[in-house]
Amino acid sequence: MTAPAPTSPAIASAVAGGGPRRRVSWQRRERWIGLAAVTPALLLVLGFMIYPVGYALYISFHKTNGVTFEYIGFGNYTKLLADPLLHKVFGTNLLFLIAVPVVIFAAIVCSVLLYERVRGWKFFRVLFFVPNVLSTAVIGLMFKTLFSYNGPVNAVIQAFGGEPVDFFAGAGTAIFVIVLALVWSGFGYQSLILLSALSSINPEIFEAAALDGAGWWRRLWSVTLPNIKRVIVLVSILNVLYTFTSLFGFIFVMTAGGPGYDTTTLDYLIYSLAFSSSRLGEGSALAVMVFLFIGALTLIQLRFFRSAED
Amino acid sequence: MSGTSITLARRARLPIFLGLALIAVSIAYPVLYLAFAAFRTKADYLANPFGLPSEWTFQNFIVLWNNYDMGRALLNSVIVVSAGLVLQMMVAIVAGYALARLPVPGARTINATFVSVMLVPSQVLIIPIYLLLSRLGLVGSLPGLILVYVATGLPFAVFFLTAAFGGVDRAILEAARVDGAGFWRSLFSVATPMAAPGIATLGVLQFLGMWNELLFAYILLPNDQLRLLTPALAQIGGRFTSDQPLVSAGLIVTALFPMLLLAFASKYVMSGLAASFGR
Repeated sequence: MTAPAPTSPAIASAVAGGGPRRRVSWQRRERWIGLAAVTPALLLVLGFMIYPVGYALYISFHKTNGVTFEYIGFGNYTKLLADPLLHKVFGTNLLFLIAVPVVIFAAIVCSVLLYERVRGWKFFRVLFFVPNVLSTAVIGLMFKTLFSYNGPVNAVIQAFGGEPVDFFAGAGTAIFVIVLALVWSGFGYQSLILLSALSSINPEIFEAAALDGAGWWRRLWSVTLPNIKRVIVLVSILNVLYTFTSLFGFIFVMTAGGPGYDTTTLDYLIYSLAFSSSRLGEGSALAVMVFLFIGALTLIQLRFFRSAED
Repeated sequence: MSGTSITLARRARLPIFLGLALIAVSIAYPVLYLAFAAFRTKADYLANPFGLPSEWTFQNFIVLWNNYDMGRALLNSVIVVSAGLVLQMMVAIVAGYALARLPVPGARTINATFVSVMLVPSQVLIIPIYLLLSRLGLVGSLPGLILVYVATGLPFAVFFLTAAFGGVDRAILEAARVDGAGFWRSLFSVATPMAAPGIATLGVLQFLGMWNELLFAYILLPNDQLRLLTPALAQIGGRFTSDQPLVSAGLIVTALFPMLLLAFASKYVMSGLAASFGR
């Protein structure tokens, strides 16, 4: 992620021509115009993103109902960290990490198949993208409908002589369905990312390997996968982050955190603390902790990845 | 990039095609299943969940329209998303062009700020933004949500357009300037048309983000008359799961715009989502 360097003043003024004095005043004008052009965006981001982050920190150190604020130091943090509910929710969140290897595996399979560019691969590529343009609320409800008590999945189970399963009544089955929804929604996009990594491998490497007598599977193991290792790791890191920040939509429409708190994740707990129990201070403290946690996790994963590279 | 891979043995083509077809079915089947269910009566659906509708009915859509105000929710979504998109694109085009092509003081710091706030998850923002907007009297008003959507999407939009305008040939902009074109004229008559594919890609991407957003839309518009489509659907789905054809109809209505976009602008959708990788 690199942004292009700002226009070099030397080049700009050289092209502009005119005498030295005119050049200076013209350049000053350009700087002012540039600053004025960036100002609306800066103000909006300051007001609605940077200030709220600071405000979230402020709220997290207070006991508040939204109107009055009473400073209690780290009170919200210590209270949360001692709460068995948070430990349980954190554990549940870790359980959702099961989805990560499954998504990665599916994405690798999918991208390797697409890479061969058999007939119709462009159509498949667009089709695999469908889950990505849909809201998590839509995908969650799709799976909720498919796995509901009188839904099609249970109809199939019954057709084979089984008892219908109430998927959302137990923690294990509910998490299973949510993980399935996560995998379904995620692998298409990630296979496209892997496909673009595959496409940047020099095809001559494959041709050389083929000439040396390496079969399709051998090429997959010895050429393809090692060459996209970097991107696979990057995609894994993003998946882990996603599991800690983006489950809200699924949980909200599928289980509302239940039964009990069995499918409540960290991001859903922030919502329910703040907007169902009006514990805004604790909600903010949890949001800050999750933010710090995923930040630390990213750094650790990146460092681990770099040391594994060497 | 177009022909079949050279190293692929001819006899391996069929298994690979079948593998892809299998994955395609696992994506398409659930969507088509629900699309068909939406046009069935509840009795017909319960009698045989599989199979085609025995008679096609629009009853589910009519009920959604009349009893659950889905039409109003659709209208609200269209208002919020189109206003938010236009405002955001205008602000981002001006800022992105300036950052890419004008000597903005502190440009490096500004870019770094935009990139780092892109990483802030919405869970961190929702509580302070809720309190902020309620103090401004903007909770439960469409302009409040529009403002939030514009602002939270801006860092990525500006970042993306800075890169897009960075690809516009500098010599052409200089030529325009020598001919006497000022800031607005250079931007809208020269730079914007040249960066049009990037702008279209960003527009598609931000449209999807706003259309599909749930948390802010649900919290910041608590009153029923101002519900947007996605939270309205979430509520219907939460309450009426036993009426699967009805929920399916709601799913189809909500998913229709994004699907049409993918069908007719797949190039922009896919390049946009690839660019937002790691956002």
